[in-house]
Amino acid sequence: MKLRYYASALVVLIVIFATGFTFRMQEKKPWPVPDKYKSMKNQVASDAESIAAGKALWSTHCKSCHGVKGQGDGPKAAQLKTEPGDFSKASEQVQSDGSLFYKTSEGRDDMPSFKKKIPDQDDIWSIVNYVRTLKK
Amino acid sequence: MKPITYNTKNWFVRPAMLMLCLFLLNGIILGQDSSGNEQTPVAVKKIKPEKNTFGSIWIIDNQTVMVPIKGTFEMDIMHRFGTIKNGYKDFLGFFAPSNIRLGFEYVPINNLMVGFSITKANMTWEGYGKYAIIKQTKSKYPVSVTYFGDISLDTRGKDNFVHYSDRLMYFNQLIIARKITPKFSAQVSPSLTHVNIVDGYYYEPGKYRGTMNHEHFAIALAGRYKIKENMGIIVNYDQPITKHRSNNPSPNISFGLEVTTSAHAFQFFMGNYSFITPQRNNYYNRNNFKDGQFLIGFNITRMWNY
Ligand code: HEC
Repeated sequence: MKLRYYASALVVLIVIFATGFTFRMQEKKPWPVPDKYKSMKNQVASDAESIAAGKALWSTHCKSCHGVKGQGDGPKAAQLKTEPGDFSKASEQVQSDGSLFYKTSEGRDDMPSFKKKIPDQDDIWSIVNYVRTLKK
Repeated sequence: MKPITYNTKNWFVRPAMLMLCLFLLNGIILGQDSSGNEQTPVAVKKIKPEKNTFGSIWIIDNQTVMVPIKGTFEMDIMHRFGTIKNGYKDFLGFFAPSNIRLGFEYVPINNLMVGFSITKANMTWEGYGKYAIIKQTKSKYPVSVTYFGDISLDTRGKDNFVHYSDRLMYFNQLIIARKITPKFSAQVSPSLTHVNIVDGYYYEPGKYRGTMNHEHFAIALAGRYKIKENMGIIVNYDQPITKHRSNNPSPNISFGLEVTTSAHAFQFFMGNYSFITPQRNNYYNRNNFKDGQFLIGFNITRMWNY
């Protein structure tokens, strides 16, 4: 019986160590976007209604990592292996709507894919419209 | 006087039929204003059902109108502590015996959720289903309507029952809700509980009758008001309607706070219901708010999307 406790304690320790050492920020690598998406037009007009819907979705699904103002400083950001970027900066905002749409839908590594969780594409376009308002 | 029990073959049929009629009727009435001009030009904004009328499939002890999106798997952990009456002695009921429920739900096709659960009170297993019949839209339907049905099985030892069917209880509910403003949603849900076995007594030598009816009709009113994007105040009230000869169940007043995230909903509240299983709550609740018999509880849900 005792042996089992020791064995499971050991397993837990190993897991903690193994993951602990990977909690190191990595260099930002380029994220290629297929041309089809790059040039895709935003399907939803950026009106008050769309921005309000985008804001609600942002605070439910994105805020925890990207932060309230999109500066990449949400409560979960410290645990991310890659930097989530800073949407208040022009360098992020130069991307086309289609690129933001693609990255949000598909995800990569620590950035989750949202096409299952937010199945209505118009909702993702609304998030894109909201992300535009984060620019300083 | 020794209570005796009797049994009916009535089962699921009557409550189910009534609910079926109710919601068919609803469909007809609400469906009427769909005048046949479906081929509107493409430029017109698509009319879509309102989303997130509530933050979870639960609002305290009741189901909400919400059915998660297709492919969602959900797990619920729910706790109801002892009543707060003993104060510090059991730390407002936290250290009193509590009731616990573990539930699992899945949405295999659009608008249909199925699930099962196990609850500590009476070792109750439940199987349930929820179907979104109508969804509120800007112009077409003023309300969303969902049906909820639940069968519960008391799995305590054999000596508690005469027939196997005595273990079963049924719950049918029609949930009608409206997102009134982006911040405020309200719902009203009439329900019918059917109990296979009731306590009885001899009112004349050789003649007996039940203290309660097998059917119990009730209505629940619930609302959520968002105070922040992901935080809301939740309230729920349950009113028994059927008048029984005796042992009438007490109504339930409950209120609390809800916090939602991408994958979770947390609800923390106070109320009178302790059984978690809706049919048992509606039929057997003895905690009376007039006597201050409130208890603390929480619901935690976790969702995965596949
Ligand atoms: C679990 C944390 C997490 C959540 C939640 C999250 N993201 Fe991300 N996001 C990241 C990380 C980490 C990256 C960087 C990924 C990379 O570069 O590989 C990222 C990158 C992005 C990018 C690309 C930025 C760039 O530099 O091009 C966009 C756009 C984005 N996220 C949008 C969103 C949106 C919209 C949501 C909510 C619907 C969201 N994210 C939710 C962690 C998250």
